[in-house]
Amino acid sequence: MATGSLSPANEANAAYEQQKAAVTRVPLVTNDRNLPWLTQNVSSIVESKTPIWWWISIFFTSLVAAFGLFCIGYQISTGVGVWGENHPVGWAWDITNFVFWIGIGHAGTLISAILFLTRQKWRTSINRAAEAMTIFAVVCAGIFPGIHIGRVWMAWYLAPVPNSNAIWPNFRSPLLWDVFAVSTYFTVSLLFWYVGLVPDLATLRDRAKSKVSKFAYGLFSLGWRGGNRQWRHYEMAYLVLAGISTPLVLSVHSVVSFDFATSVLPGWHATIFPPYFVAGAIFGGFAMVLTILIPARLIYPQLKDMITPQHIDKMCKIILLTGSIVGYAYAMEFFMAWYGANPYEIWVFLRNRVADPFIFGPLFNVPPAPYWWAYWAMISCNVISPQFFWFKRNRHNLWLIFIVVNLVNAGMWFERFVIIVTSLHRDFLPSSWGMFHPTWAEIGLFVGTFGIFLTLFLLFMRFLPMVTIFEVKTVLPEADPHHHPNTHNGEVKH
Amino acid sequence: MKKIFQHPPEKLTGRKYWRSLGELADTEEFRGWLEREFPAGAAELKLDGVSRRNFLKLMGASTALAGLSLAACRHPKHLVPFTKSSEWSIPGKPLFYATSMPRRSGNLPLVVTTHDGRPTKIEGNPLHPAGKGATDHFAQASILDLYDPDRSRFFEEKGQQSDAKKFEAYLDGVIAEAGNGAGLAFLLEESHSPTRERLRKEIARRFPNARWAVYEPLGNQAAEAAAAAAFGPGIKGVPVFEKADVILALDYDFLGNELISIAHSRAFADRRRVEKPGDKMNRLYSVENRYTVTGGTADHRLRLPASQIGHFALALAKELGVDTGGIAAPEGSPEFPADWVREAAADLKSAHGRSLVLVGPRQPVAVQQLGIAINAVLGALNETLVGARVTSAPALSIGELAEAIRQKSIRTLVILGGNPVYNAPADLDWAALQKSVPEVIRLGLWVDETSKESTWHVPAAHYLETWSDGIAADGSYTAVQPMILPLYDGWSELDILAKFAGQPKPAGSELVQETFRQRVKAASFSDAWNKFLHDGFVAQRREGINLAFTGALPQWSQEGLAVPAGAGKIEIVFAADSKMDDGRYNNNGWMLELPDPITKTTWDNTAWVSPRTAKELGISQIAHKAEHDLLEITVNGQTVVAAAFIAPGHADNSITLSLGWGRSVVGALGRGTGVNAYKLRTSASPYFAVGAKVVKQGKQIKIAHTQEHFSMEGRDLVREASLEEFNRQPDFVRHMGGDSHVPPGPPSLYTHPKLEAPNQWGMAIDLNTCIGCSACTVACQAENNTPVVGKEQVLMGRSMHWMRNDRYFVTEEAFNPDLSQYPENPEMVSQPMLCQHCENAPCETVCPVNATVHSPDGLNVMAYNRCIGTRYCANNCPFKVRRFNFFDYHQRPITPVKVPVLGEVNGLKLGPLAPKGSPDTLKMQKNPNVTVRMRGVMEKCTFCVQRIQEARIAQKVKAGASDDVTIPPDTFTSACAQVCPTGSIVFGDILNPESRVSKLKAQEKNYRLLEYLNVRTRVSYLARLRNPNPKMPDAKQTIAHGAAEPAHS
Repeated sequence: MATGSLSPANEANAAYEQQKAAVTRVPLVTNDRNLPWLTQNVSSIVESKTPIWWWISIFFTSLVAAFGLFCIGYQISTGVGVWGENHPVGWAWDITNFVFWIGIGHAGTLISAILFLTRQKWRTSINRAAEAMTIFAVVCAGIFPGIHIGRVWMAWYLAPVPNSNAIWPNFRSPLLWDVFAVSTYFTVSLLFWYVGLVPDLATLRDRAKSKVSKFAYGLFSLGWRGGNRQWRHYEMAYLVLAGISTPLVLSVHSVVSFDFATSVLPGWHATIFPPYFVAGAIFGGFAMVLTILIPARLIYPQLKDMITPQHIDKMCKIILLTGSIVGYAYAMEFFMAWYGANPYEIWVFLRNRVADPFIFGPLFNVPPAPYWWAYWAMISCNVISPQFFWFKRNRHNLWLIFIVVNLVNAGMWFERFVIIVTSLHRDFLPSSWGMFHPTWAEIGLFVGTFGIFLTLFLLFMRFLPMVTIFEVKTVLPEADPHHHPNTHNGEVKH
Repeated sequence: MKKIFQHPPEKLTGRKYWRSLGELADTEEFRGWLEREFPAGAAELKLDGVSRRNFLKLMGASTALAGLSLAACRHPKHLVPFTKSSEWSIPGKPLFYATSMPRRSGNLPLVVTTHDGRPTKIEGNPLHPAGKGATDHFAQASILDLYDPDRSRFFEEKGQQSDAKKFEAYLDGVIAEAGNGAGLAFLLEESHSPTRERLRKEIARRFPNARWAVYEPLGNQAAEAAAAAAFGPGIKGVPVFEKADVILALDYDFLGNELISIAHSRAFADRRRVEKPGDKMNRLYSVENRYTVTGGTADHRLRLPASQIGHFALALAKELGVDTGGIAAPEGSPEFPADWVREAAADLKSAHGRSLVLVGPRQPVAVQQLGIAINAVLGALNETLVGARVTSAPALSIGELAEAIRQKSIRTLVILGGNPVYNAPADLDWAALQKSVPEVIRLGLWVDETSKESTWHVPAAHYLETWSDGIAADGSYTAVQPMILPLYDGWSELDILAKFAGQPKPAGSELVQETFRQRVKAASFSDAWNKFLHDGFVAQRREGINLAFTGALPQWSQEGLAVPAGAGKIEIVFAADSKMDDGRYNNNGWMLELPDPITKTTWDNTAWVSPRTAKELGISQIAHKAEHDLLEITVNGQTVVAAAFIAPGHADNSITLSLGWGRSVVGALGRGTGVNAYKLRTSASPYFAVGAKVVKQGKQIKIAHTQEHFSMEGRDLVREASLEEFNRQPDFVRHMGGDSHVPPGPPSLYTHPKLEAPNQWGMAIDLNTCIGCSACTVACQAENNTPVVGKEQVLMGRSMHWMRNDRYFVTEEAFNPDLSQYPENPEMVSQPMLCQHCENAPCETVCPVNATVHSPDGLNVMAYNRCIGTRYCANNCPFKVRRFNFFDYHQRPITPVKVPVLGEVNGLKLGPLAPKGSPDTLKMQKNPNVTVRMRGVMEKCTFCVQRIQEARIAQKVKAGASDDVTIPPDTFTSACAQVCPTGSIVFGDILNPESRVSKLKAQEKNYRLLEYLNVRTRVSYLARLRNPNPKMPDAKQTIAHGAAEPAHS
C-alpha cells in the first residue's frame, strides 16, 4: 500500500503497518465499498443500456449456436455416420464433449454448496456466475448423450416407464446411472441457483423502471419481501439444498466415470476413475470459471472490487491442487498397469498413449503411438501448466492465469479424448484396430456448444445479477455485528 | 367379447312336427350336436385307423418333407406364378430346389432356398459327395448377380432398346442367310454342359463351316495341353488329395480361387484334421510369388517370382532324377536355396506313391510337362493323380478366332457370355476386331464393354433362371433348373444355340430332357428325370483312365521356361482375383466389399510389392493410414497406374496385379473400382510378364482395408504349434500367453443366471483346417441381410460384416506396420471372428435399455426394436464384432448422388435428401426370416437364430405333448458352418456330448480367446498345427506363436 520512499520519521510507522498487513486478512471486497455501492454497481450491469459489444457478441455466439443446432439436425436426420465414429471407436467427440462439459459444470455447484457448507466466505462473489456456468455447461453436456444415440426418437426407452412390452431399462448399465445422475444434478443445480437468485431478483424488481422488467422480476422473485421469517426459511432452504448438492457434486462425475470404469476395456477399466474424474472436473470447472470471470472483470470494472486478486489467487490454488491430483492419477494408472501385469493394459498406457517419437518411445524402445500428441497435449496442459501457480507472482498475473486456465480447458478436453479414443482405437484384437478422424459435423457441433454456452452466459449477464448482491453484503465489514463505523479492515482504532 | 346379434326366436304357432326324437327330447347334447359343424369328438374320430388329427399331422409333415427334400414337380411349360396358391407351398416356409452352378472347374451342385418363388440363398447339395453341402464365396455371391439392379433388362439393337420379337426375326434372318456357316462364328465361355455339346454338334451338322471358339481368361489351357501331350488328347490329370501325404504346389492356389473344386479343398483339409497326439496329417510345400490362401496353409513356403518357378521345377526334376534331356539349369537365375529343393525333393521321394506335385495353371506348358514328369517319377500317376476325360471337345482359341476376323472371313459373330472386349489379350485389340465384324450378337447379363461394341445385345438369363445341365468336377451329371422365371425375359445360351440348331427357342426343359434321355438310360424316363431334378444330379462314375507316361518330355525345351525375373528385372503377375474372378463379379456388392483374404482390401485391386522391392521403389505405407502410393507400371508397351500394397511374404522383383477390376462399362457399384490389368496382358504373356518398368508416381490414393494392423503383437490369439510339439505337449494351448496365468474356469463374484434350455449352442473353429477363404463372410451376408456400405464407409472403418476373417502375419521378430516396417517372409495365419456369444457378455451389462440380452439357449441376442444405438456394447466388446448402422444402408444409395450445389455426394450422407428405398430386386434377395436393420441400430452375429428357431419349432411340433423338445445333434447348422469348404466351422449343441461341436471342444487343443476376462465365450478355436519337415532349412524347432511368456507350473 505504502509506496515511494519513506521518511525516517515514518519508518517505525511503516514497520508497524507491514506487521499489521502480515496478520490482517485482506478484505473480500476492496476499496471500502459499502452496501448501496454494491447494490448499485451490480444492478447497474443489468439496468444500463445494452452495450454494443454485447449485441456484437451475442450475434456471433448465437450464429455459432445456430450452426451447432444445424449440425444436430443434420446428424439426427441423416445418421450418426455423419460423424467420424467407426467400428473400434464407437464413441469419440460426442462423449468426450459430454464429459468435458459435465466436468466444467462441477465448479459452480462445488463453489455454491461445498464452499458454503465449509463457510468459505470468498465464494460469495463468484458463486452466482459459477453456478450459471454450471447450468449452461450441463445444458451443453446434456445435448451429447441425448443425440449421440442412433435413434434419438427412441431415447425415451431410457426412462423407466411402464410399457406394453414390460421391458425396463437395464439398471446394471452405467449409462442409465448417467441418465439419472446428470438429470438429478441438473435439476438440483438449477433449483439451487434459482433459490439463490430470489432475493436479488427482488432487488432488481424493486429498482426496475419498465413495466416488463417489473413484471418479469416480480414474477420470478416469488413475492420476496425480505422479511425476517422469509430470511429464516430462505436460509434453511438454501442450507438444505447445499446439503443435497454436495454429494451430487461428487456423485455425478463418479457416475460418469463408471461409464468407463465398469467396462472391460483396458484404459477404461480402472478403480481409480471416480476420484480422479471428480478432481479433474473441479480442476476443469475452476479453469472455466476463471476463463469467464477474468474478461468479465475487464468489461465491468466494478466487479474488480468484488472479484479481487485474492479470489483469483484462491482459485489458482485449487487449480494447482486438483491439477496435481489429476497428475498423480495419471501416474497411478501406469503404476497399476505395471503392478497388475496385464499386458493389454500396459499396452494401452505405454503403446497407445505415452510413446512419442522423440523421448519416451525411443526410451522404452516402442514405436510412436498414433495418438501420442493427444496424450502429451493432455500432460502439458493439465499437469505441467498449473505448476506455474506455485508462485504467488504468477497467481496475480492475469495474463498468465488466463493462458494457463485456457490450457487447462483444452487439456481437460484432451484428457477425455485420450481416455475414450486412445483406449478404443487399439484394444484386444489387433485385427480390429482403427483410427478415428473427426468430421465437420462433429467439429461444428462441438463449436456450436460453445456458441450455446456463451449465448446463454451473455443472456445471463444481461438479465440477471452476475454477483450475489445479498451474499456479498454479508462479507462487508458493515455486516459484521461487531462492526464499528470507525474501524478499518476490522481493526478497532483506539 | 363381440356380441352376435340374433333375431328373437319366432313364436311357435300351429302344429308342430319333430324331425327326430332327439329334437323332441331337446337335450343339451342334441343342441350341441345340432350346432357343431362336426360332432363332439370328431377330431379324435377313428377313421380307418387314422384319426383326423393324425391325418392332418401326416399331411403337414409330408408337405414339409416335400419342401425339405427338394421338390421337383414342375409345370411342363412354364413356372407357376403365385396368383393361386401352389399345393406344395406353405406361405412363410421356404422350398428347396437342387440345381448346379456352371463353373470353369465343372458344375457345382447346389440346393437353393426359395421363399415364395424367390431364390434367397444358395447352399451346397448335401447329397452330392463332393461338397457335402459346402460351397464357396463365388457360389454364395452369385445370387446377388441374379438380383443386380444394373442387370440388362432389354434387347438392344445398336444401343437402342428393342424387343425379343424383333430380335427373333433378326436371328431367323441371320440363320437363313448363314449358308454353310462360313461366315458364322461363336465365341463362348468354357462350359461343361452336355446339352451345349449336343447342340454344338447339331449346329456343326447344319453349318459345317461355322467356327466355334471358347475363351476363358483364366482357363487351364496350358495344363490341358501338357496333359494331352503326355497322356493323349482329351485326357487330364485330377489330383487325389485323399491319398496325398506330401504335396508340393508350384504357383498353384488350389485352395483359393483357381481351377479345383471345393471337393478338393475338403479332401485336402480332411487330411489335416488332427484330433489327438499321434494323428497324421499331410504336409504341404508351396512355391509362389505372392501369398495365397494355399501358401498361408502351407507347412513350408518359398516365395519365388512366378517366372522362376519353372526353373525351380527344373531343379526339382533334376534332383528327383527326371530325364530332362540333359538340359542344364539356366545360369544365374535361381534365387532359391538349394537345400530347400533338395530336402523337399527328398521328402516327396520318400513318400513314393503318396506324394503329389501340382503345377498351377498360370505356368507355361513346359513347366506343366515338368510337373507331369516329376509326378511320374514320384509314382503319383494313377495314385495321387488320376486320369479323367475333358468334358468338352476342343475349340478354337480366341487368338485363332481373331485371326479369322482379321482375314474378314467372319460375317456374324455370336458372343455368348464372357466379356472379350474387356478381357481378351491386349495384343488382339479385340474391340477393334469386333467392330470390324458386320453382325455381332451378344448375350450378356449386363450391358458391358462387349455389348457396347455389338450389333445386338440380348439380355441373358441368370443360371438360376434357366434350364441347363453340366458335369460336376467329380464327373457326375448335374441339373441346372430355374428357380424363378427370367426377371427380364432373358435368354439362355442354350436358347440361342437351339435357334442355330434349327429348333424353336425352348419353352422349358425340353433340350435338357433330350440330353438326359441320351445320357441316362432309365426304365422310366419320368421317374429318372424327376429323381434327377430332385437330387440335382445323377452320380456317374468317371471313366477310369489309366495315365501312362512314357517318361520322355515331348517337345520339351528350355525355351519353354520364362526368362527369370531378378534384380532390375521386375515381373508383373496377372493373378486371378480372389473376389472378381475374371471380372464377372465386378458389380457384385458382396464381392466388392469382401476383404481380399491376403490384403484385406475392398473395392479395389492393388499392386502387391514385396517390402524389399517397395524400398527400392521408394514406396512406404503406414498401416493406420489409408493412403497408398501410386505406381506406373509399364509392360508389353502398355501402362497402368495402380496403388501399391506392400505385401509381406511377396517375392522380390515381382509385382502381383489381379485381373477383373477397372471395368469401363459396368453397373453403379463397379464404377471406378480398381485398375484394369488386362491392358497389360498379352497372348504371349498371359499370366506373368517379365521386364516391367515400374515408377512411383508421387501421388497417393486411398485404399479401403478392413484390417489395418496385421501384427498379432505377441498376443495369444491364434495359437499354433508344430505337429511334433503337439505330440509332445497336447495341451500346449493352455501354456500360452496370459491364459496360462488364469485358473481353469475363473471364479466369478456374481451369481450367473442359469442357462436352462435343453440345447445350448456353441461353435468350434478349427484353425488347422481353416484356409481363410472368407466364404463364411459372404454366406453370412447372404443369410443375414447384411448391407453393403461402399468404399467410403469401409475407409471410415464401418464395414458391416458379422463374420470376418482376421489375418495376421507372424514373425519371430517384432515388426511395426505403423512405421512402414513389414516382414519379408512371415508366416500367415487367419482366424474367423464372429460374435463369441460370451456367457458372461460384457455387451449385455452395459446396454442401458436391455436391447442385448442372453437367451436361455446361450445366445447373446439383439432386440433391434429395442436398440437405441448408444454403441456402448460395441465399445465394451473385446472382440469388436458388433456392427453399427451408421447410416440407413438399406434405404439410401451408397453410390454418389448428384446435388445442385455440392456436386456428387455419397447418397448416405445426404440423408433425407437422397432417394429412399432399395431396388425391388434387392429386396427380393432378402431372407424374410431376418429383420432388415435400420440406421442407428447395433447388429451382430446371431448364430443364425432364425435357423435355430426353425429347428426348435419343428422339434416342438414333432414332440407334441411329449417332453422331447431337445433338437437332436447336428440336424442343422449356421450359414457360415454350412458354407465352409473345409468344414472348419462347426456349430451345434454343446450340451449334447454326441454333437460334433462337443467332440471338437473336448479336444486338448481347444481354447477360448481372452479367457482372463472371464467372459466365457461360446465360440472356441482349435489351435493350428503345422507339419514342418525338420530337415528343411526354414524349419523351426519351436513355432509356437502367441506365447507371451512361459507358463507358471
